Amino acid sequence: MPAYYLEILILLLGFTMLGIEAFSSNRSRSGIAVLGISGLFVVLLFLIIAVPSSEVPYDYWGIYHVDKWALFYKAIAILTTLLVLVLAKDFSSAFKKYTSQSNEFSGIGEYYCLPIFVCAGLMWMASAKDLITIFVSLELVTIGFYVLVSFMRRNVGSLEAGVKYLVLGALSTGFLVYGIAWIFGVTGHFDLSGIAEALNSGEIEKKPIIFAFALLMVGLGFKVAAVPFHIWVPDVYQGTSMPITAFLSVGSKAAGFIVLLRVIEPFLNSPLTSSSVILILSFLVCVTLFFGNLVAIKQTNIKRLLAYSSIAHAGFLMMALPAMESGFHSKLIGPSPMESISFYLAGYLLMTMLCFLVITIVSSLTDGENIDDLRGLGARSPLLAFAMLVGVASLAGIPLTVGFFGKFLLFNIAIQYAVFSGSWYIVAFAVLGASAGFYYYFKIIRAMYCGGAEQDGDQLALTISTLSRVVIIVLLAGVILCGVFPKLILGFL
Amino acid sequence: MTTAFIILLLPLVAAASNLLLLRKKANFSAFVSTFSAAICLVLTFGLIRQDDLNNLGSFNWIKIADLKLDIGIELHGLGLGMILVVTLIGFLVHLFSLGYMREDAGKARYFSGLSLFMFSMTGIVFADNLAMMFIFWELVGVSSYLLIGHWYHKNTAAEAAKKAFLVNRIGDFGFMIGILLIWGSFGSVNFVEIEGSLRNGNGNYDKGLLNWSVFCIFCGAIGKSAQVPLHVWLPDAMEGPTPVSALIHAATMVAAGVFMLTKVLFLIEVAPTAASVIQYVGAITALIAALMATQQNDIKKILAYSTLSQLGYMIMAVGFAGLLSGGEVLGEKASNAGFFHLYTHAFFKALLFLGSGAIIYACHHEQNIWKMGGLIGRMKVTSFTFLIATAALAGIYPLSGFYSKDAIMTIAANKPLLLVIGSFVAFLTAFYMTRLCVVVFFGRARSWSSEEAKEVPLLMLVPLLVLTIGAIFAGQTFAYSWFVPSKDIPHPEGVVLPLILTAIAVAGIIAGFFLYRGRDQEPYPVQVLSRKFYLDEIYIILVRIFQDAVAWVAKQIDRLLIDGLLVRGVARLVTEIGSVLRGMQSGNLQGYAFLFGVGVILVLYIINAAIG
Repeated sequence: MPAYYLEILILLLGFTMLGIEAFSSNRSRSGIAVLGISGLFVVLLFLIIAVPSSEVPYDYWGIYHVDKWALFYKAIAILTTLLVLVLAKDFSSAFKKYTSQSNEFSGIGEYYCLPIFVCAGLMWMASAKDLITIFVSLELVTIGFYVLVSFMRRNVGSLEAGVKYLVLGALSTGFLVYGIAWIFGVTGHFDLSGIAEALNSGEIEKKPIIFAFALLMVGLGFKVAAVPFHIWVPDVYQGTSMPITAFLSVGSKAAGFIVLLRVIEPFLNSPLTSSSVILILSFLVCVTLFFGNLVAIKQTNIKRLLAYSSIAHAGFLMMALPAMESGFHSKLIGPSPMESISFYLAGYLLMTMLCFLVITIVSSLTDGENIDDLRGLGARSPLLAFAMLVGVASLAGIPLTVGFFGKFLLFNIAIQYAVFSGSWYIVAFAVLGASAGFYYYFKIIRAMYCGGAEQDGDQLALTISTLSRVVIIVLLAGVILCGVFPKLILGFL
Repeated sequence: MTTAFIILLLPLVAAASNLLLLRKKANFSAFVSTFSAAICLVLTFGLIRQDDLNNLGSFNWIKIADLKLDIGIELHGLGLGMILVVTLIGFLVHLFSLGYMREDAGKARYFSGLSLFMFSMTGIVFADNLAMMFIFWELVGVSSYLLIGHWYHKNTAAEAAKKAFLVNRIGDFGFMIGILLIWGSFGSVNFVEIEGSLRNGNGNYDKGLLNWSVFCIFCGAIGKSAQVPLHVWLPDAMEGPTPVSALIHAATMVAAGVFMLTKVLFLIEVAPTAASVIQYVGAITALIAALMATQQNDIKKILAYSTLSQLGYMIMAVGFAGLLSGGEVLGEKASNAGFFHLYTHAFFKALLFLGSGAIIYACHHEQNIWKMGGLIGRMKVTSFTFLIATAALAGIYPLSGFYSKDAIMTIAANKPLLLVIGSFVAFLTAFYMTRLCVVVFFGRARSWSSEEAKEVPLLMLVPLLVLTIGAIFAGQTFAYSWFVPSKDIPHPEGVVLPLILTAIAVAGIIAGFFLYRGRDQEPYPVQVLSRKFYLDEIYIILVRIFQDAVAWVAKQIDRLLIDGLLVRGVARLVTEIGSVLRGMQSGNLQGYAFLFGVGVILVLYIINAAIG
């Protein structure tokens, strides 16, 4: 089965779900979610079993590229969407009061369908190797998100988040298109290999191509939530519904990174542009690490905290980007930047989803999104508290979790690159950021285990659906097992 | 499955079964843990008698491209001594805990924690590479966290556990960076391989970088062995149950820093700058901690500061490994001296802690020495063992501490300043320990709790007596020559140094005895020492200032730039030109968009500057 069937299957799944949603009489719509979840699961199986994971990359029509990275990021996209649907199903009870007047589930069907289309976009992004495809798939994702972010239409916060995301997203798209136009104007190519050739041909001028690259970085920096293009992140994360926050935080970021990795590669390998590109990247890394981690310290809303943590993680991930410079490649001991970033993102998927799943369950029952609302969780639901503990420990990078090994790989690259190029300041920012991380993640743990529940409402036993329980245990096992045996993920790379 | 792997994994099995299966059966889980510790001890004796210590077992854990990490066991020389310390004292502490924690509600949890600790500590000793050591290094941190916070409903205990955990993170971060630097320079984290490529001159390391790497690795030891400036967690860690203090915070885990340094001895040897940093950090810790110990009133706190001070001794001695003396680095001699003190100290300090545990137990959990008194009449065996341990710590001939202190001072004599500091610390040690003993054991009982004290049960006395034997004889040649030959340990030449040191110790004892005899409260309060040089307060202020400053800066950027200047500025502008969006929150959004533009301009500006 060729790889491009996967996206078609996903689209078929989405249309089927839309059709059922339009004509079915099932009032709770949970069947649609279950269909989506199982459909995605089947597609994921197809990806693993049916699609040949060929070592030799190949192209379709020059616009659809398949290599192991594309397949890996497609798997991440499908898995993320699957988990988002699980989250959405759990969240639906808290959610319905913001979608329909009569407190019914009727307005909720599209909420399960749209992520499927976004997923197709994310998968196309993973295969995009020319700027047009990149742009189109990216827009497919973004437009899906415009709707999803503001889906709780009777909630002012959600609407505000939607407007912010729309306007700022459009702005960043504008820069992206402008950048693409410049690149085409300078090099005469849309496809990345053509651009790489043109960069090395010695016939183009430096200033316009760097200008074009910077514009591209604005658009992609917006997607991966890098400072200073992060301003939308805290407000949108906080305003929108929990499953979509998770979707933005994992899916959008992972797909953003594969595109980013693909786009910057020719620029880093060309002697004409590499020094300026490294400079831009180093600047973005430092401010992202600094800002993301330090602002997180003072947050009290857990979604806002995770928003800044998401920014901080973007910083850690980008730390490995300058090291893709061609001169350094042969000197690196250990996994390459591409492998390390992919490992980190896969781990990030597991741990972030684990945290969001717990928070979603807690907040849909208690209607609170502050760290204080987790108070006494250790006593009320040991499973949820333990899952959160492991998830947060992994985000902080405590050993024997997948987050530790990811940080280990990225720090390894950053430190060796610092030895190679003298860019110690990046390591310094990263150390500062990671230490601050221990502190603010610890706040969550302390809230859960210290101090009992104070109000009567907190004494409510937390009910967890069987599906969520299974997913939590699977993710929990994943975070720990991949931390002890990183080969489980690295084996795919 | 080799013997060594069984020693490593057995406690893990015990911990897991206690935690998962036996949570309800507290007594049985206590038995399981103790039994596993006993088996480990027996197996350790077997391991020591084993002739061939190569190929103890190793399996590949991770192998991706040229990243290769093993879980392998390496046990030579000092490691053998260390594993005996861990399993022997571990077993005795288990035994003691059976009595001490008899009534505790969280007994099963406590014993799971102990077993988890035994597993992690064994892993550190066995590790044949830095990465494996680091993993277990973190695991002892976790088990130490769990055990310090055992009585987590007590706020002080929960806070102490948190403090220990966070302070250690700082050190461990340095450790991790050090490991990565080493890995980058030598392409391996395996001790034997690094040493090999160092000796062959392979590896693209340069001197400066190597010094930094050693320093970063040393940061791990600063955290775990509680050296200045990260020492603040150890005294607070005394909130944990006393047997835990004896095992983890006196004999084994805190000594892991010293042990780790002896493992990377070959790196210290070629990094003289980092080595002298190590010496001075050790010496300063020894001095400051000894000074603080003289004014504490909590029996466990006194012992905690004493531990700090002795750890400082060991660290200082190991630091001398990088010192050139007569054209050669001191190397192994120095690290052996440090380890020798670790070895003897483990016995008498564990004895002191368990003794203090017995006293606290007998005095109904009273810890203030000024509420005790006259215990020698009521707790004869405990008092006797405690006094022996005190004499050993003070360095009285022929007890074990005498020999190891001599070894350290012989090494320290290479730098007169450090010799002076070391000798002064020796005086202070004898002084504060005598103060403790005089107040606790002699005089009159100062409260009902000490009046009613009576000797502890046999189960708790046995460990004390066994450790007493160790405290007396551990310094003798037969007690250590099986893991390090006597000739490799520095002995003072002639009798001058030992005589002077003994005179110093005796002077300290006499001073302590006469100053504190018959006193019922601290006669010479020195605020600055009893408040520990105000370091805790200073740290709290520093942390607060730093945290506030950072948060303030971030917030100001957020508020001033985004909200105030841009958003409201733009919003005002927008209002003035009568935008249709007026009155809504969209002013905010405009500001965001504006800021986005500022970001773009910033990036473009940097590029322009870069292109020049």
